[in-house]
Amino acid sequence: MQPSIGVQDSALTSCRRLIIRDDAQNASKYIADYIIGTNALHVPQEPTSTNTESQERINTFDPSPEKPFVLGLPTGTSPVLVYENLVQRYKAGDISFRNVITFNMDEYVGISREHPESYHSFMYKHFFSHVDVDPANINILNGNAPDLEAECHEYEEKIKKAGGIELFLGGIGPDGHIAFNEPGSSLKSRTRVKTLAYDTIIANSRFFGNDLSQVPRMALTVGVGTVLDAREVVIIITGAHKALALQKCIEGGVNHMWTLSSLQLHPHPMIVVDEDATLELQVKTVKYFKSIERVAEESGFRQMFPKKRDSLVEDQILLTPTPQANGAKLDVPKIDISRSSSPVLEAMSSRISDSQNTLDANDDPQLLSMSARVSN
Amino acid sequence: MPSAIPINGHRTPPRGTGVVKFTNCLLVKGDKLVEDDLWISSVSGKIINGQEILYEHRAAPDEVIDLGGRVLAPGFIDVQLNGAYGFDFSVIPEDESVGYGKGVSRVNRSLITTGVTSYLPTLTSQRPEVYETALPFLGPSGTLRDPNKGSESLGAHCEGPFISPKQNGIHNISVLRTASSGIADLATCYGASNLDPNSPSPIKLVTLAPELDGALSCISSLTSLGMSVSIGHSDASYETARTAIKAGATMITHLFNAMKPLHHRNPGIFGLLGTTSSQIDKPYFGIIADGIHLHPTSIQIAYNAHPSGLILVTDAMRLSGLPDGTYDWTNGSRIVKNGPLLTLEENGKIAGSSIQLVDCVTNFMNWTGASVAQAIGAVTETPARMLGMENVKGSLKEGADADLVVLDLQNAAEGTEKKLVVDQVWKFGVKVFEKV
Repeated sequence: MQPSIGVQDSALTSCRRLIIRDDAQNASKYIADYIIGTNALHVPQEPTSTNTESQERINTFDPSPEKPFVLGLPTGTSPVLVYENLVQRYKAGDISFRNVITFNMDEYVGISREHPESYHSFMYKHFFSHVDVDPANINILNGNAPDLEAECHEYEEKIKKAGGIELFLGGIGPDGHIAFNEPGSSLKSRTRVKTLAYDTIIANSRFFGNDLSQVPRMALTVGVGTVLDAREVVIIITGAHKALALQKCIEGGVNHMWTLSSLQLHPHPMIVVDEDATLELQVKTVKYFKSIERVAEESGFRQMFPKKRDSLVEDQILLTPTPQANGAKLDVPKIDISRSSSPVLEAMSSRISDSQNTLDANDDPQLLSMSARVSN
Repeated sequence: MPSAIPINGHRTPPRGTGVVKFTNCLLVKGDKLVEDDLWISSVSGKIINGQEILYEHRAAPDEVIDLGGRVLAPGFIDVQLNGAYGFDFSVIPEDESVGYGKGVSRVNRSLITTGVTSYLPTLTSQRPEVYETALPFLGPSGTLRDPNKGSESLGAHCEGPFISPKQNGIHNISVLRTASSGIADLATCYGASNLDPNSPSPIKLVTLAPELDGALSCISSLTSLGMSVSIGHSDASYETARTAIKAGATMITHLFNAMKPLHHRNPGIFGLLGTTSSQIDKPYFGIIADGIHLHPTSIQIAYNAHPSGLILVTDAMRLSGLPDGTYDWTNGSRIVKNGPLLTLEENGKIAGSSIQLVDCVTNFMNWTGASVAQAIGAVTETPARMLGMENVKGSLKEGADADLVVLDLQNAAEGTEKKLVVDQVWKFGVKVFEKV
């Protein structure tokens, strides 16, 4: 049999990949190359090749109108460089997004689509205006929908109808949140209306003339569960200010206060970071993940996606049981608040009660207590 | 869904939405060149919001045009053009209206290849019968939004005949008039129907001398008719000029030329650029940057005094592009053309220019150190603002007409001088010229 498969399985490299690059630019380039593939479009692949081609996601997938590639997309400062790289590669003719369907993670509630800080504007500015994604294939939550609940529900349906998300690209906040799944979010959450945490509002006020009253207080966001359902999740984390979050999400346990830690339950995650983001990690951890990459390269393959995955069927077996089995160990909210009738869903008070059970494992003094966040 | 096959990642044109996207270009935005895309509709002939097209109409561009890093600017506006390509707006041909109309059409189709997508056809001081025949052909011509008609008139510029005999320049002194009866005298000259408050006038701008008897009342009458008034060919003092601005004049015609020079105890019309009065706004002013009419330093001084008011004009006349020699002009005079220099045969006075507007932009940029965007603004945004058309012309804002020029910014042979060359011209969202 092919040696690469065996090595991969035993080293478990396909299950947990942490890629460390010198700086944000190189980390972003790694992701763009990974999503696209390092080889130009239309280059025929050698069928038994063990080199990099099998991990070129979109080009290897060879999307067509009948079999589009479904890509989940984030906004934020870290992904900007990834988009820059993707656009550059598109302009060089290495990739077409013609048969790619996109789903964005989130959007503010109550600011116009044309608002310069809306995620529609962000995506237009950094990606969609530069590439050939069919406008009909672009999906972004509508924060001005008359019925926000219905909008979220339909979004999940749309993802399902598109065949599920093949690759979800994401970033995280300094508090470890993925999309707008703020600390304390249910790790089983689906797309829903979300009240923003106070420190997120403070952090975002810099985009709204430092005027807190101008910052949207709610957003629509895919849930942690929605992200985990993707066949592959790729996360970019750059900068020293995200080092603690990275540490909590990789070295800590699965914890709804650091929602990205749920990625530990995903069969095919990849986290790409710059050196700065590793500041809080143990030297042992950094060395381990670097050695995995090195050994893999020396053995003639890179840390690959285990095999070409074109169908949903095989994934159902893998994906469905995993998060549920682990969910039992977590103190997740019992009520499925994501479908509650009120748009203001997860009250801060409910988060506090959740946190009582989860914080005790965490004696890190740098972790803000929930009460501190509320009273501020 | 369209099933167009991507070629190098781009769709094949056209059909469908008529949306064109310019990419890899430098857009003129304010004082800067900004790397950005521009979306236009060849159907509406306007600049559109790409984000709205994408999200609201779910449409992709029919055509993506890679400009290879060149400058994309609004089409140029020339507010003082006396004629070109052998045709003089102030000369009625022998076959009168028929020949005149054809001549105007010919100028329009040729002029657009120089990047001038709209302009004010300018009449020098003439007898009433000239206005009667000419004005019906010189009014705003863009109502049909037909790109094939070439450059678009935004209305006529009547330069005279209500000007000072002391500052007539090459205008024939025998046809000059005064306006002691106010607007009625103007109506006698330009034609009553052309100053009728109940019907749109072909006239957009009138240059007059405010010191003339009755001129001040004419200024307010003309502005109330929706026209702009420019001070020019005038011997006015600073004080008189200031009164004209208070009465509603907003511009100075070819600054420095045909007016008193700056005197330190009587700054004259030029003094308006240094006014500290809170009662008046500094006026716009036309500048002929052809290297003959004005010393570069004079331009620099004027520009420093009032940068947002400077409008580059050609003041070009019909001899531009024709060989050197002596040519008949109006009212029995003759003009000698010697290279770019045009002089009146009888007294050697400068008789207009034969320069192209894009070369004025190049000169201005090199002489004043203005940025490329600032220099382009002097033939786009500033004249549009002067005409009150800043949302329609001279702008790359959403909703403005898609009159565009693609400019190649070249380094001139010697030194650090730069040169702008017109590579493409678009009118109402359609490409009408491409340099070969």
